[in-house]
Amino acid sequence: MSIEIPREEYLFSGHTGCPGCGAVLAMRHVLKGLGDKTVVAIPACCWSIIAGAFPYATLNVPLMHCAFETGAATAAGIKAALEIRGDTETTVLAWAGDGGTFDIGLQALSGAAERNDDIIFICYDNEAYMNTGIQRSSATPWKTWTSTTPANTPKETPKKDIVATMMAHHIPYIATGSVAYPADLIAKVRKAKEIRGTKFIHILIPCPPGWRHPSELTIKIARLAVLSRVFPLYEIEDGNHRVTVEPDDTRVSEYLKLQGRFRHLDETDIEVIQANVDREWSRIECLSA
Amino acid sequence: MPLRGKPTTEAEKIVFRHEAELPPMTRSMGTVLINKTGSWRYLRPVYEEKTPPCRDACPAGIDIQGFVDMLARGEPLEAWRLIRESSPLPGVCGRVCPHPCERSCNRGEFDEAISIHALERLAADRALNEGVGEEPRAPKEEERVAIIGSGPAGLSCAHFLGREGYGVTVFEALPRPGGMLRVGIPEYRLPRTVLDKEIADIEALGVSFQTGARIGDIGELADYDAIFVATGAHKSRSLNIPGEDAAGVIPGVEFLKNLNLGGKNQAGERVLVVGGGNTAIDAARSALRLGARTTIVYRRTREEMPAIEEEIEAALAEGVDILYLATPRMALVKDGRVAQVGLIKTELAEPDETGRRRPVEVAGSEFMIEADTVITALGEAPDLSFLPEHAGLSEEPREIDGTPVFGGGDAFTGAGTVVHAIASGRRGARAIISRLAGAGVAHEPPGPVVPFESVNTACFARQPAVRMPEVPVAERVSGFAEVNRGLPLTDGLEEAKRCFSCGVCNLCDNCLIFCPDIAVIRLNDSYEIDYDYCKGCGICAVECPGNVISLVEEER
Ligand SMILES: Cc1cc2nc3c(=O)[nH]c(=O)nc-3n(C[C@H](O)[C@H](O)[C@H](O)COP(=O)(O)OP(=O)(O)OC[C@H]3O[C@@H](n4cnc5c(N)ncnc54)[C@H](O)[C@@H]3O)c2cc1C
Ligand SMILES: Cc1ncc(C[n+]2csc(CCOP(=O)(O)OP(=O)(O)O)c2C)c(N)n1
Ligand code: SF4
Ligand code: SF4
Ligand code: SF4
Ligand code: SF4
Ligand SMILES: [Mg+2]
Repeated sequence: MSIEIPREEYLFSGHTGCPGCGAVLAMRHVLKGLGDKTVVAIPACCWSIIAGAFPYATLNVPLMHCAFETGAATAAGIKAALEIRGDTETTVLAWAGDGGTFDIGLQALSGAAERNDDIIFICYDNEAYMNTGIQRSSATPWKTWTSTTPANTPKETPKKDIVATMMAHHIPYIATGSVAYPADLIAKVRKAKEIRGTKFIHILIPCPPGWRHPSELTIKIARLAVLSRVFPLYEIEDGNHRVTVEPDDTRVSEYLKLQGRFRHLDETDIEVIQANVDREWSRIECLSA
Repeated sequence: MPLRGKPTTEAEKIVFRHEAELPPMTRSMGTVLINKTGSWRYLRPVYEEKTPPCRDACPAGIDIQGFVDMLARGEPLEAWRLIRESSPLPGVCGRVCPHPCERSCNRGEFDEAISIHALERLAADRALNEGVGEEPRAPKEEERVAIIGSGPAGLSCAHFLGREGYGVTVFEALPRPGGMLRVGIPEYRLPRTVLDKEIADIEALGVSFQTGARIGDIGELADYDAIFVATGAHKSRSLNIPGEDAAGVIPGVEFLKNLNLGGKNQAGERVLVVGGGNTAIDAARSALRLGARTTIVYRRTREEMPAIEEEIEAALAEGVDILYLATPRMALVKDGRVAQVGLIKTELAEPDETGRRRPVEVAGSEFMIEADTVITALGEAPDLSFLPEHAGLSEEPREIDGTPVFGGGDAFTGAGTVVHAIASGRRGARAIISRLAGAGVAHEPPGPVVPFESVNTACFARQPAVRMPEVPVAERVSGFAEVNRGLPLTDGLEEAKRCFSCGVCNLCDNCLIFCPDIAVIRLNDSYEIDYDYCKGCGICAVECPGNVISLVEEER
C-alpha cells in the first residue's frame, strides 16, 4: 500500500497515555485519515484519561465524553444533531475500548448498527479493561492472564468474534486495523468516511502494562499479530471480504512469547492456539477468495 | 476555539481565580501541552549514526551506504563522486575486488548481500560512458612528492596528494602506468579503457607520470620533499625442480606482463599452470584464450585456493582443468624445451602458520603429464634493491638522506589485493600531508558497527540480489573481451533500493510515524526529538530500520 501518511497532527504531546501506548497511536493515525471535520464520542476507557483532564485537551477536534455503555448512542445522537443543523459533512466517530464495545457497549452499538446510523464506530481492542486495572473482558483471548483471570486459572472461554457479530447486522463496511500498518489503517478510515451508514473498525492495540511487554515492542507485537494471522487485516465491504495485508509464515508463538500475559502457556496451549488461528485464517481466506 | 492550531503552540496554564470564571459546563480550554511528560522518561532516544558493516569491512572504507543511496535516488554520478572520496579506482574495484564488504553485508543474513561491487562498477561506468571526469587543476602547494610505482598503491597516494594540491610525480619502470592492473590482471576482467580513464582522472589533479623510468637508487629522488615507495611484488618464486631453466617454463607474472603489454603469446599447445592464486587462474584463463589446453596443478584442495572464488568458477566453466593435491617434481626437457612434467600426489597434514593445511608428498605416487609450457605462479616477492638497506622500511616513514620515505602496497603490507593497496596509498598520503603540513590530519573514529540483529527487517521484503550478466562461455574463450557485463541502470537502481541503510538515517519517517507522543519533529533532512514530551518508550529506536537511534540512560 503506497499512501502517504498525512503530516497534519490532531493530537497534542503531553497526553497521559502510558509510554508506548498503542491506543494513542491508533487515534493519531485515525484522525490523520479523517481530518479536522470530525467529532469524537468516547465512553469510559483509557482514552477518557488520555484525552486530558479538565480544562486541558489532547485532541485538536471536538470530543465528547459519555457513559461507558453509550458510545454508539452518543455518536448517533451527535450525528443527528449535526444533520438537523445542516452539517452533513462532519464525520462522527465513536471511539471505544473493548469493554465499551464487546461488553457493556454492545447494546448501543447493536441498536445503532441495526438502524444503520451514519457513524464510524472504532473499537480499540486492548483485550481487557485496562483503565481500571486489567480486568478480563469478552475480548480477552483464551488462556490469557488478567488481574481477574490469574495465571493459575487463566480465562477459559475464547475471545468473542466481534466482526461476525457486526456482520450479522449487515452494515456496509467492517474492517480490521493495526497500529503497525498505519497506511492500511488510514486507507480504511478514509474509505469508511465516504460510506454512509454504520461503519465498524476493529483495531488490535498492544498495551505495555496490560499485556506485560516492554514499551518499545508495541509496534513489533502489533505487526507479529498480523503476520502470524492472530489478527489478520481485512475489510468487508457490503459483505465482500478482502485481505489487505498478506501474512507470512510467522508462528503464533513468536507473537505470544513477547508478552508476559502468555508466559504461563505450555506447548499444548500454544498448539491449540495455533490450530485455532489456522482454522480462522482459512475461513477468512475462503471468504476472501 | 482555543483548541485549534498546531500542536506546537506554547501551552498556557489555565487558572480560575473565582467560581465565576469557571465555564458553565466542563469544557476544555487549553491543551495538554501543559504536561511536560518528558519527566517520565528514564531512557533517552538519541539520533546516533553508526558504521554499516559493509563500510567497516571495506579496506578502503568506502561510504558504501552513501553511494548506494545515491544510486537508489537515481544519481549515479553523485555516487561516483562519493566513492572517489575514499578510492580513486571504482571502475577497477567494481571489477576485480574480492569484495569483503559483501561478506559482511547485513542483508546477506536476510536474503542476499547487496551486490556492492556491481553497483560500484555501475557508478564508475556511468561516469566513463558519460565522459564525466576530474576537472583539471594545477598543484598549489610548494612541496613536491615522488612516488615510485604506479600500481594501485601509488595511484591512490597520488590521488589523495593531488586532491590536496601537492605536486606529485609518479615514476614507473614499465612503459605504461597501472602496475599489476596493467600488466597482471587480464583484459577480459579489466578492460584497459576503464583503467586509462581512472588514471586520467588522477592525472587531471596535476599528477605527472614518468613511465619507462626505473628508479635504481632512491638517491635519484633527493630533490623531492617526500617519497612514497609502492613498487609491488613482481619477482616470481621459483619451482626449484630439475629442468626449470628450460624454454617453455615461464613465471606467471612474466607471462601475463608479456601478453598484456606486448600481446606476446608464450603459451604452447599444452599448458600446465602451477599454483592456486589469482596469478595462476589469470594465466590459465589467458592461456586458454590463446588456444592452449590448460591444466592448473595445485598442491592443496579447492577449499585452500587463495584465488577469488568467482574466478575459480569461471575458469572451470571455461574448460580449465584443475588438478588438486599434486605438485611438480621435475620438468622433462626435449630439444631444449619442456615436453613433460613429472608430478607427485600430495595429501594434507596439520595446518601450517598460515592456517592452511600443509601438503605432504605421497611416496611412490609419481606420474607424468604432457606439457610444452609450464607457468609458475607460486607467489611474488618484492624487489627493493634500490633502497640502501632492505629490512626496516614499512608503512612507518624513515628518513633516507634527509628525505622522509614512506612505504605502501604489496611491497610492504603483503596484503595482495587492489583495495588493500588503495587503502595503503591513502594512509601514505595522509602521513605525507601531516609530515609536510606539520599537522596531524583529523581522523574521525568510526561509530559502533550495526549488527544484523539491530536491523528492523520488518521494513523489508525478501528480494534476491541482481547479478551482472556474463558473456556465454563459448563466446568468451575466443578472445579477451570483458566477461562480466555491467548491470543495466534500471537493475542497478533496483538493487540499490535493497540496502538496509545500516546505521544511517534514510529519512524513512518511521520514528516520526510510530511515536505515540508526537515527540519526533522532522527538520529538512534530519529529525529532532522534543525531550519536553518524549516519554522514552523506545519505539522509535526499535522501529528504525537501520538502528540509527540509540537509547541511553537518562541521568537524573
Ligand atoms: C595476475 C594477478 C591478478 C590479480 N588479481 C587480483 C584481483 O582480481 N583482485 C585484487 O584485489 N588483487 C589482485 N591481484 C593483486 C593486486 O594486483 C595487487 O595486490 C596490487 O596491484 C598491488 O598494488 P601495488 O601498487 O602495491 O603494486 P603493483 O600493482 O605491483 O605496482 C607496482 C608498480 O611499481 C613498479 N615498480 C617496481 N619497481 C620499480 C622501480 N624500481 N622503479 C619504478 N617503478 C617500479 C612496477 O613496475 C609496478 O608497475 C592480482 C595480482 C596479480 C599478479
Ligand atoms: C457503567 C460503568 N461501569 C464501570 C465503569 C468503570 N470503568 C471505567 S473504564 C472501565 C474499563 C474500560 O475498559 P475498555 O472499554 O476495554 O477500555 P480500556 O480501559 O481497556 O482502554 C471501567 C470498568 C464505568 N466508568 N462505568
Ligand atoms: S493502560 Fe494500556 S491502553 Fe491504557 S493508556 Fe496505558 S498503554 Fe494505553
Ligand atoms: S544493507 Fe546496505 S548499509 Fe547494510 S551492510 Fe549491506 S550494503 Fe551496507
Ligand atoms: S517513540 Fe517518541 S516517546 Fe517513544 S522514545 Fe521515541 S521519541 Fe520518545
Ligand atoms: S526511523 Fe527512519 S527516519 Fe527515523 S532515524 Fe531511522 S532511518 Fe531515520
Ligand atoms: Mg480494553
